[in-house]
Amino acid sequence: MLSRLQAISVKVTDPFVSLSLVQASRSLQTSSQRLAPVPPLPDHGGKVRHGLIPEELFEFLYPKTGVTGPYMLGTGLIVYLLSKELYVINHETIYAICIGTIIVYGVKKYGATVAAFIDSINEEKVAKAQAAKDSHISFLTEAIENEKKEQWRVEGRGMLFDAKRNNVAMLLETNYRERQHMVTNEVKRRLDYQIALQHLNRRLQQEHMINWVEKNVISSITPQQEKESIAKCIADLKVLAKTTQAKAAA
Amino acid sequence: MTLSLFDQFLSPVVCWIPLVAIAIILPWILFPSPTTRWLNNRSLTSQNWFLSQATSQIFSPINPPGHKWALLLSSLLIFLATMNTAGLLPYTFTPTSQLSINMGLAGALWMGVVILGMRTQPTHSLGHLLPEGAPALLTPILVIIETISLFIRPIALGVRLTANLTAGHLLIQLTSTATLAMLTIMPVTAIFTGILLFLLALLEAAVALIQAYVFVLLLSLYLQENV
Repeated sequence: MLSRLQAISVKVTDPFVSLSLVQASRSLQTSSQRLAPVPPLPDHGGKVRHGLIPEELFEFLYPKTGVTGPYMLGTGLIVYLLSKELYVINHETIYAICIGTIIVYGVKKYGATVAAFIDSINEEKVAKAQAAKDSHISFLTEAIENEKKEQWRVEGRGMLFDAKRNNVAMLLETNYRERQHMVTNEVKRRLDYQIALQHLNRRLQQEHMINWVEKNVISSITPQQEKESIAKCIADLKVLAKTTQAKAAA
Repeated sequence: MTLSLFDQFLSPVVCWIPLVAIAIILPWILFPSPTTRWLNNRSLTSQNWFLSQATSQIFSPINPPGHKWALLLSSLLIFLATMNTAGLLPYTFTPTSQLSINMGLAGALWMGVVILGMRTQPTHSLGHLLPEGAPALLTPILVIIETISLFIRPIALGVRLTANLTAGHLLIQLTSTATLAMLTIMPVTAIFTGILLFLLALLEAAVALIQAYVFVLLLSLYLQENV
């Protein structure tokens, strides 16, 4: 803001000087110039020694006075204040020692626990968000898997249809063959019937003929002929008997 | 500089410039304001956690119209707790050990609560002057007693805080003076007095936080009655 004030105050006289003043004071503007993205927080705070004195003091004094420099400075200061009675030892000093001990002991004993508790609050927040994100990711992965499975199933549908088509064709074929069989059987039956009829006719004719012939023959045999034939038969039989007797004796 | 016993209760002045304003504003700069970040550093996280716990605990028994007082009472709690505990450090001035500040807070807040009650629900507020379940004969006496207790409340609130802190600080001063005086003459007794000083300092730390909480709790109770 001061740079703007400077710029405005000098603007009337010389624009070149005002611009250079703004540029010069840019090095003093240490906060970030943009609002987003938010700069990340450092993981750890500034390093301190003995809980109070920043490490920068030790590093600042190290080139000139080495490691013991800051300690000598501190001791010297305290001794100076005490000896010149700039700091007077009174009852508050005793109380200061007392409360200092209590504070240091409290921080040393419970510091880590409190820090861990506070960190756990933050971690719970992160864990909740992470859990929500993870569950969502796993849900989506599962959905992808299911979709792929469905696509694979769809491929198999063709095979299913082929099999069904085959089935239907086989059924039709079977049905056709059955009907053909039936037709053949029926035709054969009819033809068999005709044949049987013809056989029957032939047989009847034959029997009729035989009966007629026999009747005629029997009616044509006179009694004289019958006696002659019977006598001849008896004579033939006697002859036969003699020949067999002779064969048997021989 | 040599200190008398009551130097700590004097309003601090440097070259006639009063520093009491700085002493009262101190709690404001000790607590960072919440940022727009989702995850904060430890101090801000702990501050947020503590405030949310304290506010939810104090305001859970109060009806919803009383929740408008949440900001006032929670900031009062932080204010008093910080000033009390900051006064435990040596060479500090505790503003809450002064009757002026405590009576100012107590009187104004108590009166606000009572006037709120009387304006929004006068019958209900006046009904508190007669406790439930009291025998009918005692009604006149009870009403007078309850009225007196109602008007004593701001004085009690302010004086309780002042007296606790002043007495504690004074005891610490006395004990540490005794320890210092006896350190050269009777070291063993000085050690015992030193142990007493330790315990007293612990007690004072507890009292500092408890008194701040009690102040705010009582105000929330008066609010609960009247809202």
